[in-house]
Order: sequence, then C-alpha cells, then structure tokens
Amino acid sequence: MLSPYIDGQLGPSDREGMEGHLEGCQACRRELESLRATVNLLHRVAMVSPPRSFAIAKAAPKPLPAAVWSFGVLRVATAIAALLLVFVFAGDATHLFEGGLIEERAAQQGTLMDGEDGEVSDKGGTPAGGEEYVWPVSELELALLGVVVVLGGATAVLWQIRRRGGERALGG
Amino acid sequence: MEEDELIQRAKEGDLDCFNQLVERYQREVYSLSLRMLGNASAAEDATQDAFFSAFRGIGKFRGGSFRAWLFRIAANACRDQLRSLRRRPTTSIDSVPLELESDQPSPEDFAMRRELGEEIKRALAALPPDQRLAVILRDIEGLDYEEISQVTGSSLGTVKSRINRGRARLRHHLERHRELFP
Repeated sequence: MLSPYIDGQLGPSDREGMEGHLEGCQACRRELESLRATVNLLHRVAMVSPPRSFAIAKAAPKPLPAAVWSFGVLRVATAIAALLLVFVFAGDATHLFEGGLIEERAAQQGTLMDGEDGEVSDKGGTPAGGEEYVWPVSELELALLGVVVVLGGATAVLWQIRRRGGERALGG
Repeated sequence: MEEDELIQRAKEGDLDCFNQLVERYQREVYSLSLRMLGNASAAEDATQDAFFSAFRGIGKFRGGSFRAWLFRIAANACRDQLRSLRRRPTTSIDSVPLELESDQPSPEDFAMRRELGEEIKRALAALPPDQRLAVILRDIEGLDYEEISQVTGSSLGTVKSRINRGRARLRHHLERHRELFP
C-alpha cells in the first residue's frame, strides 16, 4: 500500500486511513521514508544516449533473392527430410517395415539377411522361412539422419548470413 | 511537424516521417532496453528490432499514446533478447555505467554516484522481468499507471502490484548500501 500511496494512487478513504496509520506507526514511517528515498534515486537515473541512430535506411539492401530462394528451399528440404526420418523411426518402432514381402527380391536377399532373421523374429515380424524382404531400416535411418544434419547445418549457416545481412540493412 | 501528422504520413509509407519519430523516441527506447537487459549490445539489437517492427506495424496503430504503443513493441523486443541472453549467458556483461543526475557534481560525489549506479544496476537485474519493466517504466521513464497498463497489456491492479513488489525488493537491496544514499 505504501507504493501506491507515494504515487497518489489511493482513493481518499484509503489515503486517510494510511495517513492515520502512519501517524501512529514508526516502523511504517521508516519504511515509507526508505521507499521514498529508493524512488527518488530511481528518478535520478539518467537517460542514455544511444550509440548510433536507429533510423531505418531508405535503400535498405534487401537480402539477395537467390539467398531467399535457397533459404526457403533448404528449409522445406530440411523439414521434409526430418519428417521422413520421423516417419521411418516411427515405422521402425511400430514394426511397419517388417513382414513386408517383396517376393522377387526375397531370393536375392534371403541369403544376405539370414543372419538377421532371428532379430526380425524378436521384433515380432512374421518370417516366412527366410522368404521375406527385410527393409534396410537402420541404414535408411542413418542416411536420413545424415541428410537432416547436413541440410539443417546449411540452413542454419544461411540463416546466420541472412541475419547479419538484415542487421546491416537495419543499421542504416 | 506535429506527432500526429508524422504518424499519419508514416502510415502512408513515408520513411522520412517515421525516422523523425525514431529520432524523437530512440533515446527513451534505448534507455528502456538498456535498463531491462543490462547489456549494451543486446539493448542496441532490441532497439533496432523495435523500430523495425514499429515501422512494419504502424498501420495497426489505432491512436492513443504513441509512446506507450512503441514501448510495448520495445518491451516485446526486450523479451526476445532476454530469451537469447539466457541461452548465451556469458555475453551478458554490460560496460555502460548507470549514471545518476546530480545537482552539484564534484569529484568525490562522482565516485559515490558511480558506485550507487552499479548497485542500482545490480538491484534491477535481480528483479523478475515483469517487475523490472514496471518499475523502469514508472520510476525511470516516468509513465503513469494507465500507460504502463497499456505497455504491458496488464490490468491496473497487476501494474500496481508489480510496481509495489519491485520497489520493495529494490529498497531491500539498496538498504544494504544505505551509506551511498545522499
């Protein structure tokens, strides 16, 4: 209540009540005095002249259209790759890719994937006597992760360049 | 040219008129940002972002206090800067001293004021951002409660409470350095 009292924000009855209380309460008077000193101190804090003008430059150089274009494309590509990665991960987790039979490849892959048959069964797939095509899920995940990292990195670098360009444009 | 006319022309896309408004308010906006952020380069970024946003959004200004409208944009820009300062706290060093106005400057007085300024800076930095903003707007920038309510988008009751709690904390912090008070 002391702070609004200092600022004259109390209604007449509250103000009178406050003044009546202050008359009889030394602790509150002391607090009021110290609060007033703090507020007066803050009133003395000087404005700071800005180090430069913030006027907006008339011919603010726009970011290069090519940069804008590649930035947009990169962003979309990163998003698509990330979505694909999420999809493959989710598919992997829900065993979507297991038990997907591609008959014509089964013969070729059968011998290669022998070693992994047990693993497939563990994950709840439905091995049909080594006749099924097992998607190279982990390789796909790794590859997609690589793509996401590279695209994301390129996007971040381009974003930084654009940001600096923007700052220069604003700098006037 | 009157402020209303400058605003009207700026709304029509006149950059020169907008820049006259920038010249009028940049000191206040920069000071607000510097006191909010305690970091000179972040304050510079916030000020520039604020004026750029203001230029883009001036069409949406519907009258009332232009200063409060501008401060609201600046407060948002400060919030963004605070977030990025939190992500890289090592850069949050401010070499700009907080200066206090004085009636009779003398060399000994200067050293004392410098020290007191540093204490005020520390005390402000220790406040929660909402309270810091309310106290800066009220006691350093000199806005009234109604304007602060417009700037912060909070009710008058909330403004009162933030100023009250912010000042109480500052008082508590500065009490420990009572010897520095005039």
